[in-house]
Amino acid sequence: MSQFLSVLRHRRFPVSLAAVAFALLGALPAAAQDSDPLTKLDPNSRNTIELLVDSASTLGLPADYLRSTALQGVALKVDGKRIVDAVRKKFSLLKTAYATLGPVGGEELKAAASVLYAGAKPAQLTPFKARQKDRNDLDAFVVWADLVTRGVPSEEASSAITKLWQDGASDATFNGLWNSVQSDILKGLNPGAALQSRIRETPERQPGNKVTPP
Amino acid sequence: MIDSELHPYVESIAREARRPVSTDRAARERIMAAVRAEPVPVRPRHVWQRVFEPRSLHLSPASTTLIAAGLVGIGVFVGTFAHNRDVRSSGGPSQMAVVPQSQLPVSDSTVKFVFVAPQAGKVSVVGDFNGWDSTKTPMVREPNGGVWTVDLPLSAGRHLYSFVVDGAWSADPSAPLAPDDGFGHANSVKLVRGGSAL
Repeated sequence: MSQFLSVLRHRRFPVSLAAVAFALLGALPAAAQDSDPLTKLDPNSRNTIELLVDSASTLGLPADYLRSTALQGVALKVDGKRIVDAVRKKFSLLKTAYATLGPVGGEELKAAASVLYAGAKPAQLTPFKARQKDRNDLDAFVVWADLVTRGVPSEEASSAITKLWQDGASDATFNGLWNSVQSDILKGLNPGAALQSRIRETPERQPGNKVTPP
Repeated sequence: MIDSELHPYVESIAREARRPVSTDRAARERIMAAVRAEPVPVRPRHVWQRVFEPRSLHLSPASTTLIAAGLVGIGVFVGTFAHNRDVRSSGGPSQMAVVPQSQLPVSDSTVKFVFVAPQAGKVSVVGDFNGWDSTKTPMVREPNGGVWTVDLPLSAGRHLYSFVVDGAWSADPSAPLAPDDGFGHANSVKLVRGGSAL
């Protein structure tokens, strides 16, 4: 040992290099931890999440949706178990949405999973499987999930959105419906009543305005 | 030229020169001590000469191992950093080979986020586009009033986001809500279609 130290004392250049190497090796884990927030989780939770994300990728599902959920949980300082539960639930819903809708786009799958997360049943998504080319159901799903989140009963929201979709409602119609219903809810109206009231005002529900689905 | 051709006088000098000089040990020590005591002449050199001048390094096995470990560490560090940057910019290890991407255009659109918070000291936006990191996208207070804004390029699709007002998360009152993920907070949804946002 003393011989080793003596060698180090008489070799200033290698010593400085060694010091740099030690500093870098020491900083490596810290830097890696900074760059990936998931390292803040306990190893079990992190491994489970990575497994779920990899499984989603393998199945062709939008894995970024799961990773984003985990990152959000870390940012909110939620404990690992709850984050794993949320990621696992979303993975399951993505699979259900895929099984129901077929090979649609990743964004639509995420939106459909969000509708299921809000409380819709898989069978309620079935009418959205049949669609014309270039028509996507993103707006319908986003408005549907929002209405349920704001307190509209799931069955009523499902029925209203599905009917509008089958009547060929445009994205603007869905957005207009959302705008008026959320405005009514903010004014204090009952969410279910607000939807029933506003759904009658949509162009597709006006007499003689039946639209053929595009 | 060979020795037989030398002048006898030169030959006698050469003979004297070839004869081994015998000195006693003490005298040799004195001479060597005097030589060692002499300062080594330093030739003035330019910096670039010193940098590029070849030299030999005597490294112990331990030092060599440490240097090698350091170089490997640098490689791993750079690789990890580059990988994480790619993962962050793509929003995760995306392998959408089976499911076709959305029918929406894939080009980016600049989306303006606006939040009214006159009393706030610091507002930022977090979402799936920045890894939910509240330090990454701070919003700027408009000169008049308490309106905070930020412009962000977002890819086409459905984005979840929230505002962070002085550390507290808040949904956007002017956008649709997504259900709570089980974390006790509902996010807002922004739909981006290539050239516009909902």
